[in-house]
Amino acid sequence: MTKDELKAYIESNFSGKLTALDTGRYDLLFETKKGDLVELARALRDDESLKFDYLCNIGAIDTRERFEIVYSIASTVNLLRLDFKIAFSYDDAEVESVQTVWPAANWYEREIWELYGIDIKNHDDLKRFLLPDDWNQGHPMRKDWDAPDFVRFPEFEV
Amino acid sequence: MTEVGLRTEEFQVNMGPHHPSTHGVCRLLLTMDGEKVVKVEPYIGYLHRSIEKICENRTYHQCIPILDPFEYVTALSCNYVFALSAERLAQIEVPERAEFLRVIMLELNRIASHLIFFGTTAMDIGALTPFLYGLREREMIMDLFEMTCGQRLTYNYIRIGGVSKDILPAFVPKCRETINIIKDKVDEYEALLNGNPIWKARTIGIGPLSGEKAIAFGASGPILRASGVKYDLRRDDPYSIYDRFEFDIPTRQNGDVFDRYVLRLEEIRQSIRIIGQALDGIPEGDFKAKVSLKFKPPAGEAYTRIENSRGEMGVYLISDGTEKPVRVKTRGGSYNHLQLIPEIATDCLIADLVAIFASFDIIMPEVDR
Amino acid sequence: MTLALMQPVELSPTFLWIQHLIEAIGIGGMWSIVITYAILAVVTFGVLALLALFLVWWERKFAGHIQQRFGPMMTGWHGWYQTIMDAVKLLQKEDILVVTRDRMVFFWAPIIAFVAAFAAYIVIPFGNGIIVADLNIGILYIIAITTFTIISLLMAGWGSNNKYALLGGMRSAAQVVSYEVPMVASILTVVLFAGSLSMVDIVDSQSGWFYNWNIFRLPFGPIAFITYIIAATAEANRTPFDIPEAEQELVAGFNIEYSGMQFAMFFLAEFVNMFTVSAIATTLFLGGWTGVLLPSWMWFLGKTFAVVALLMLFRWTFPRLRVDQLMEFSWKYLVPITFANLILAGWMKYAGWYW
Repeated sequence: MTKDELKAYIESNFSGKLTALDTGRYDLLFETKKGDLVELARALRDDESLKFDYLCNIGAIDTRERFEIVYSIASTVNLLRLDFKIAFSYDDAEVESVQTVWPAANWYEREIWELYGIDIKNHDDLKRFLLPDDWNQGHPMRKDWDAPDFVRFPEFEV
Repeated sequence: MTEVGLRTEEFQVNMGPHHPSTHGVCRLLLTMDGEKVVKVEPYIGYLHRSIEKICENRTYHQCIPILDPFEYVTALSCNYVFALSAERLAQIEVPERAEFLRVIMLELNRIASHLIFFGTTAMDIGALTPFLYGLREREMIMDLFEMTCGQRLTYNYIRIGGVSKDILPAFVPKCRETINIIKDKVDEYEALLNGNPIWKARTIGIGPLSGEKAIAFGASGPILRASGVKYDLRRDDPYSIYDRFEFDIPTRQNGDVFDRYVLRLEEIRQSIRIIGQALDGIPEGDFKAKVSLKFKPPAGEAYTRIENSRGEMGVYLISDGTEKPVRVKTRGGSYNHLQLIPEIATDCLIADLVAIFASFDIIMPEVDR
Repeated sequence: MTLALMQPVELSPTFLWIQHLIEAIGIGGMWSIVITYAILAVVTFGVLALLALFLVWWERKFAGHIQQRFGPMMTGWHGWYQTIMDAVKLLQKEDILVVTRDRMVFFWAPIIAFVAAFAAYIVIPFGNGIIVADLNIGILYIIAITTFTIISLLMAGWGSNNKYALLGGMRSAAQVVSYEVPMVASILTVVLFAGSLSMVDIVDSQSGWFYNWNIFRLPFGPIAFITYIIAATAEANRTPFDIPEAEQELVAGFNIEYSGMQFAMFFLAEFVNMFTVSAIATTLFLGGWTGVLLPSWMWFLGKTFAVVALLMLFRWTFPRLRVDQLMEFSWKYLVPITFANLILAGWMKYAGWYW
């Protein structure tokens, strides 16, 4: 199906769960609520005409007001692509793991936990990952992270 | 393998960060029962350079050389995926000549990467000579790159809007000569190893991976295609001008070490086809669109993915209208493949683990970023 | 009977002059014989050390040319004194000793490897009459001595107190022991025909034109030669059987913790071993030192270097076998073939069907 058909299909079948955003510049971008995450993921994977069986990417974002996590998924069977994101505030930083739906999510979520400090529930192996074992200087990818030796690149005029 | 009444213990061996056959710095903690590997646990992070954090503090043009060592064996793909992201965000039209040049360089880079795979895999399985043969051909490709952009490994050649320099007139005949030589050499490599009984005993049936498991774990590229799933982003999620070229997408059924090795040699042949067709049709024109130095794409986000020699390489780029990106989330194929290693490499001997690891063609900078 | 066993071995006629020289100085009786043998042993050691250095250089050039590169070129004409430079470098390197090693075992392992490698040359005929001692149990003595290397590998693996070294030592012990059987069976085929264990007698049984060589004694000659070469490659720990030192898997296996001169001992012992098995192949199958026109030692060296070149070609062409595949190959394939060959040879000799 083309992008428009996909958008129409999603709007008719998943209207309660996914709302379209207009900031996606190439593929379709939707937003969903944190609580619906695992069910929605499973529905997207198992739906007959969609079959989103391939998880491309899970990325966490720290816009300066809130956290967002974006899931990029694809279908190898129907050759479709879409992204959807969930957003939550800094105080509410925990999310369910989608590992049971796509096993590929395992390390992506571990990295999000380590670098952003977002707690992942029902993950089987949340341990130190990219940072050294004795790291105690916070979560580096947050926008307000600072460290004694972190030097910001000076602004320059082109 | 144990006798009744003889108490045996499992012991742990560290295939440590410094090891000749973990490609890059990767620590594998093996739990072994005699010669058999019972459990593999990878520990990564030895090559973490916080590329994503650095990119948040640089302008878009400055991000491109930062992303070069994201995966230095195919550095042009890293340049390209970011440039494509930025072009999609800002709706930039890339001139024809630039597209052709990009395709030629990307495919040359793919051949170079597969030649390294061939050399290192053969070396890990014990045949010490093909390493030198593969690198000899790669030297010819590096000469072509050096002729064009001055660099041999991290190119910084593909920029937002096109490429940084035009090719010299001597490039086209030299490129043709190079790919003709490589085409014959690939036949020679297959003749050297494919029929060898020792090679077949070491690679056939080792580390089989089923198609469903590969998709579930997000494996991509040659690993997915060797397990029977015909999914190639150049055809199934097309970008650039790949839809104008005629090339096959080889797949194999078993997904063992032998299949992945044969598949990559076959992909070299397909890349040679693409380059031949591209060289015939390079149009005249600009090699770069006019993109201002203070590049400020409109606010938006996009996930761009391309077919790298190691699988799917992607960048999730978010911009907010300023000249620095808000988030550059990079995704490399080896990240998912390293997750697969503990699943596949259970109940095998150390020699098989080395062969499986080599056949996955994992490059650690892609994992650690 | 004890007295008969204590008879000194007859000195080879070519070296009698040394004994006469010593007697002329004034030392007589038992001592002149002992000193003669001592001098011959030292000279053999010297020749072999030079040969080992030459072999190391030659392997590097050979490997280089197979891999489309030159090999050592900087030290002298085509790098001829590269090995000497490497030996000097290794001599002045610090012997890094692991604190938790098993001192006795760690210390003696390279020495045993070295001694076992060199002690086999007493009975190898380098030419017509050029042999240190023509023992009447020649080939049996060589088999016994080369088995000593297993002990040294196990000692190196254990004494290093390192899991990798231990794995390497165990694997190599298993490998060498498994491949002793087909090697000995191939050798026995030749011994059966020569009717004697003595090396000189074996060479004499192949005298005449070159079609008398054992390799041409169809149908069991070529089979015995091929199985012997395969088993010999495994004995010498060379690819495709170089699991004990498989760099890509176990980072140099049993000699991980050795550095400096101790490492040099293992290294040289490996090359001397390779020369030993090639020399045995030459003596048993290719006619030893027999040949026309050229001096006999030239023929011997030429043939041995040909076999060495074959072994080197194996190393740089074939991938490595996995441990269980290696064992399977030896026990399931080589042992039945060699024993069948032996029975066939025995029957042919008994029936008189040979020339």
